[in-house]
Amino acid sequence: MESASNHSQTPLLETERPKPPASVPAGSSTVFLGSVAWFHRLTIEQRVLAGFSLVFVGILIVSGISYHNTSILLTNSELDGRSHDLIQLLNTIDAALIEAEDAQRRYLVTGETSYLEIYKKVTKQKPTFTAYLNDLVGESPEQRQRIGILDRMMERQLSAESKAITLFHEGGFRATKKMAFEGAGKRELGVIHQIITEMDLHERQAVARRVEESAAWTRNTIVLLGIGALMLLVLLAWVYYLIRHDITERRRIAGELQRRGELLEAANKELEAFSYSVSHDLRAPLRHIDGYAALLRKSVEHSLSEKAARYLQTISDSAKQMGQLIDDLLVFSRMGRQEMLRTAVNLDQLIKSIFSDLRLDLQGRKISWTIAALPEVQGDPAMLRQVFMNLITNAVKFTSTRPIATVEIGVEHPSSGEIVLFVRDNGVGFDMQYAAKLFGVFQRLHRADEFEGTGIGLANVRRIVHRHGGRAWAEGVQDKGATFYVLLPARRRDS
Amino acid sequence: MTVAKPILLAEDNPRDAELALAAMEAEQISDKVVLCHDGAEVLDYLYCRGQFKSRLRGNPAVVFLDLKMPKVNGLEVLRTIKADANLRPIPVVMLTSSREERDLADSYALGANAYVVKPVEFHKFLSAVKELGTFWGVINEPPPGSCRSTQ
Repeated sequence: MESASNHSQTPLLETERPKPPASVPAGSSTVFLGSVAWFHRLTIEQRVLAGFSLVFVGILIVSGISYHNTSILLTNSELDGRSHDLIQLLNTIDAALIEAEDAQRRYLVTGETSYLEIYKKVTKQKPTFTAYLNDLVGESPEQRQRIGILDRMMERQLSAESKAITLFHEGGFRATKKMAFEGAGKRELGVIHQIITEMDLHERQAVARRVEESAAWTRNTIVLLGIGALMLLVLLAWVYYLIRHDITERRRIAGELQRRGELLEAANKELEAFSYSVSHDLRAPLRHIDGYAALLRKSVEHSLSEKAARYLQTISDSAKQMGQLIDDLLVFSRMGRQEMLRTAVNLDQLIKSIFSDLRLDLQGRKISWTIAALPEVQGDPAMLRQVFMNLITNAVKFTSTRPIATVEIGVEHPSSGEIVLFVRDNGVGFDMQYAAKLFGVFQRLHRADEFEGTGIGLANVRRIVHRHGGRAWAEGVQDKGATFYVLLPARRRDS
Repeated sequence: MTVAKPILLAEDNPRDAELALAAMEAEQISDKVVLCHDGAEVLDYLYCRGQFKSRLRGNPAVVFLDLKMPKVNGLEVLRTIKADANLRPIPVVMLTSSREERDLADSYALGANAYVVKPVEFHKFLSAVKELGTFWGVINEPPPGSCRSTQ
């Protein structure tokens, strides 16, 4: 818009800006597109707010202009009132002065004092007339000038008449006979009458002008209100569209979420059915393999070679191992689905109870324990117990090759919102490049004949810790030892 | 040794059945075992109908019940037994592969007297079945109305 008006203004600007005229609408359209892009970056709340702000500003502008127009109309009608008063006053003055002149002449002819009274009354009123006129006439310099003349003329008329009356008192009717017939202030009265007529006309013209002006303002106001109302309606419709669009979108998303939730639930049910079937159906053949291997061994016991016995033993062991793997996998899968408790867990007592469970496994081992005073945490006691059971049995297991094993259980407070618990051992450790693999399901860093286990323990640890809103990680040095860390949020997380 | 009382074994899998019978053979209680291959057969036996129409009247000393069976599953059989005033006293032992919490809860809620998960390892399975057979078939005194021997 701006560039368009500049463009048509001066040829100087034309040379300064070597744009061809055709690019002018293109320029304005890029401005438009730019503002559209800006608008699209706004959030729905900001857009609605912008819409309502525009409506509010529109209402303010329309109200302001209406107020302005209406106050002009009010002023005009007030001025009209004054003008009417002025016209009336002018008539009164005209009549009063005529009456005064008339009364004075009658007095000069008849000597009747009641006529003198009327004349005196008008004389008394005269200053009031001037004051009223000045009051009513307002700022108009022409009218003020006329009032000045009028005042002087009235003064002259009344004083001429007053002289005549004095002469009458001194010389009687004879002395004033000529005056009585001609009228003492007749000439002034004529001028007064003319001025009054002029003033009257002036005022009437002013009234007529104001009436026209008021009509124009009223028309303007009506048009403005109409346009304003229309624009506000358009704006409100736009805001309504925005809100409606947003609500529709939100509803669609809610529906989509619900649909996905249902899908997820169905998938979960399926998974449950799957793990149920695994637990029931996969175990049976394993039992049969082990069972029939045992029965076979029993029935051919006497003729069995050492090699054949070892083969049978391997069949049995493999079946058992697979049974263990299935059991571990089921526990792991159940860990993800199980409902979680949220209570205060005293870790000191938890560790104590783990030690009492491990009493038998620890017999015959030389382990130097360092156990710090542990805090209370929020969580599921059974799950947390499994975490520490796994970490402690791991420490015991992987220090079995050490003549004197040392295991430390401690706590760190990296920040007010977090608690880090760790289990450190001087066992076989691990190469840090495999650290990421440690917590995977069935991931093992040692051969089965070195250390037993299916490799599910740390996967369970990580899953449980994640469900508590925390993290689990490990640091280790090959042949020097390992430290396993568990970070738990100190306060309850509302999730 | 005391004479073993009849034991009703509900097992649809013939291998499991054979292994269970082999386990009980060692304790000389296998000949007291009546083998049913599905839930419907168990109910036929208990109500003396179908192929068991002419059997000697009286309830078994114990029912070993698998959960997953064709036709009528273990939980349905259990529900029928515990809902019948005549059958309710029969001890029912769930003998199953399932370790699922839901199955445990459902079984005990329906009135199962014991719940045993079949161990994968044969020697554990063997000892479990032996102990069960000895306890329920020999040591435990069955409720009145049980038959003293099978036909």
